[in-house]
Amino acid sequence: MTPPFPVSSGFLRPAAVAALTVLALTGCAGASQDPAQAQSPEATASNTADPGFPLELDNCGTEVSLDAPPERVVTIKSTSTELLLALGLGEKIVGTAFSDGPVPDAWTGSPVPPVLAEKVPSRESILALAPDLVFAGWESNFSADGAGERAQLADLGVASYVSPAACMEDGYRPSPLTFDDVFASIEEAGELFGAAGAAAELVEAQRAELEALSPSGKGYSALWYSSGSDTPYVGAGSGAPALLMESAGLENIASGIDAGWTPYSWEAVAEADPDVIVLVDSAWGSVEKKKAVLESHPVMSQLRAVRDAHYLVVPFAASEAGVRNVETVRSLTEQLAALD
Amino acid sequence: MWKPYAPSPNSWPPLTDTLARPGAPAAERPARPPRSRAWLVGAALAVGLLAAGLWALTVGPAGLGVKEAWLALASPGSGSLTPLQEAIVRDLRLPRVLTAAAVGAGLALSGAVIQALTRNPLADPYLLGLSSGASLGAVTVLLLGAAVVLPVAAFAGAMLAMAATLALAGALGCITPTRTVLAGLAVSSLAAAAASFVVFWTAQGDSYREVLGWLMGSLAGATWSSTAIALPALAAVGIPLMFCGRILDAFSFGDTAASALGVPVPAVRWTLLGATALLTGAMVSVSGSIGFVGLVLPHAVRMLAGASSRSLLPLSALAGALFLVLADTAARTVFDPREIPVGIVTALIGAPFFILLLLRRRSGA
Repeated sequence: MTPPFPVSSGFLRPAAVAALTVLALTGCAGASQDPAQAQSPEATASNTADPGFPLELDNCGTEVSLDAPPERVVTIKSTSTELLLALGLGEKIVGTAFSDGPVPDAWTGSPVPPVLAEKVPSRESILALAPDLVFAGWESNFSADGAGERAQLADLGVASYVSPAACMEDGYRPSPLTFDDVFASIEEAGELFGAAGAAAELVEAQRAELEALSPSGKGYSALWYSSGSDTPYVGAGSGAPALLMESAGLENIASGIDAGWTPYSWEAVAEADPDVIVLVDSAWGSVEKKKAVLESHPVMSQLRAVRDAHYLVVPFAASEAGVRNVETVRSLTEQLAALD
Repeated sequence: MWKPYAPSPNSWPPLTDTLARPGAPAAERPARPPRSRAWLVGAALAVGLLAAGLWALTVGPAGLGVKEAWLALASPGSGSLTPLQEAIVRDLRLPRVLTAAAVGAGLALSGAVIQALTRNPLADPYLLGLSSGASLGAVTVLLLGAAVVLPVAAFAGAMLAMAATLALAGALGCITPTRTVLAGLAVSSLAAAAASFVVFWTAQGDSYREVLGWLMGSLAGATWSSTAIALPALAAVGIPLMFCGRILDAFSFGDTAASALGVPVPAVRWTLLGATALLTGAMVSVSGSIGFVGLVLPHAVRMLAGASSRSLLPLSALAGALFLVLADTAARTVFDPREIPVGIVTALIGAPFFILLLLRRRSGA
């Protein structure tokens, strides 16, 4: 895939992207003026209606400004969709994309948001829905060949937002992630969507549920197996997997690496021989597939956890920072109790 | 005595043409160094390979050193190590080192043979599109679930890509190194784009990491079943190829001269190119496309031991094996306990070496 000569597709691509970007900017500049002007009287009108607006915040290093709570939201990845559903704002979602799994039963009663795309949607397909905010689970979803660069979207009058718990920049990335960070993210989203009251109630309920949970006292060591077969991709020392394992009373074998997730080595896993293995279940990497990888591997099949089938299962969407983390801790402690 | 550009559409000009200093063809094919020098280099490489292989068995994230590695292999089940520790050395490190050596040898040998056959110092399995073709075949099987055995698909891809490259170069007129390189580039880009499309279309969530590691070339997944493909492929195809040096030396003076020496030129050329595609396909199917091994190592060996194919082929194989064992050990230990694809390491070392090679030739002009 890497031809050893400079004339490769990779060499040509930045030039092509730059050319397209220029086209896009010049082509859209005229069009974006009109809606912005048309909206301005409405925006000033809503200023008086909504306390807390206009709102400006520093989101992962990008300035986000909103004159009124967003009414048309595109969500990318399950964490952002689920946060809105948990705040009772499901009807504001005009399209969801790149879901990590089905919407949990708890929210199936509310109107099911329309699906825009199975994968990361293109900028144009998002703009066609005329959203006032795109809410993504990962910063990387906002790329030129994904949903569009954040600055470009802002120029087109579309705000963008990433949960602060998912920021990757130094100074923004919570390291290590704590439940206070998770709850602060829910509260900030509450302000952003004009639903501060609902967010406060949700956080209060989750705090109470978390405090009522008792972590396993066995001191089990654990591998958080997220994906990969040749090179395992595992939960590391400072992200959501670390927080969830610690809260459930598990000792993470990859805690020494300061990252959310990390490529790891099977040899290091064999050396640690963990007591339990947390299998992350997703549409693209099912639990069955991960068990098959472990059980057919000449060395991994000899791990104690694999021989005794000491597996814990976590849905992928609940393994990233968000409204399902407390539920995940509960599930982990219950599964641990069932092992004994 | 030989014509640089024979009129036959199926003939290549001599190796000296592309990068040789003008007016100094002797620089490309220096007076053959004494045979003893090749033996000396060969002995040094063989000792180096053995030492590197043994050393690689004693390093890794698990911290099992010389003593533990020895115990694991020499007296398994003695109770001084846990079964898991023995398995780390026996089933993770050992097959990985053997696979790295076989793949490195196979790729370097393929590079040396293609360079001699096409009389093109820039040729290697990458440049002629073989690696991309093999990747495409393998990616198609892996992601689309085609019911073909992986090495067979990789071989078919490599073979198709090479045939396309040579047909395209031939369609442009007399097959010159430049035309071969350009045709290879076109085919390679096309196969790479097709493989990327398959990956882009099917990979979901963070599973692209897995595929990326594979496309960059990685030995992280090497087990005894990888060794069982790479070593027999090297033995069955690579070793016979190593003894074709005399024929390739005849080729180096041009097709006409080779015919005059009694070599059935087209038959031999296609047989050897087919064998190279088979070897590359087998290696790519276990390791992904690892770059620069086929391009750079034959040049390094030429600098040390001269350009005679008879010594160049076995020495390139040894050097490739040594290089890839070292590169892969770096890939799995430098960022311990993380791993990086070995293709990154070979490119980081290979690309600067290649640039040096180009500059050296330029400054000599």
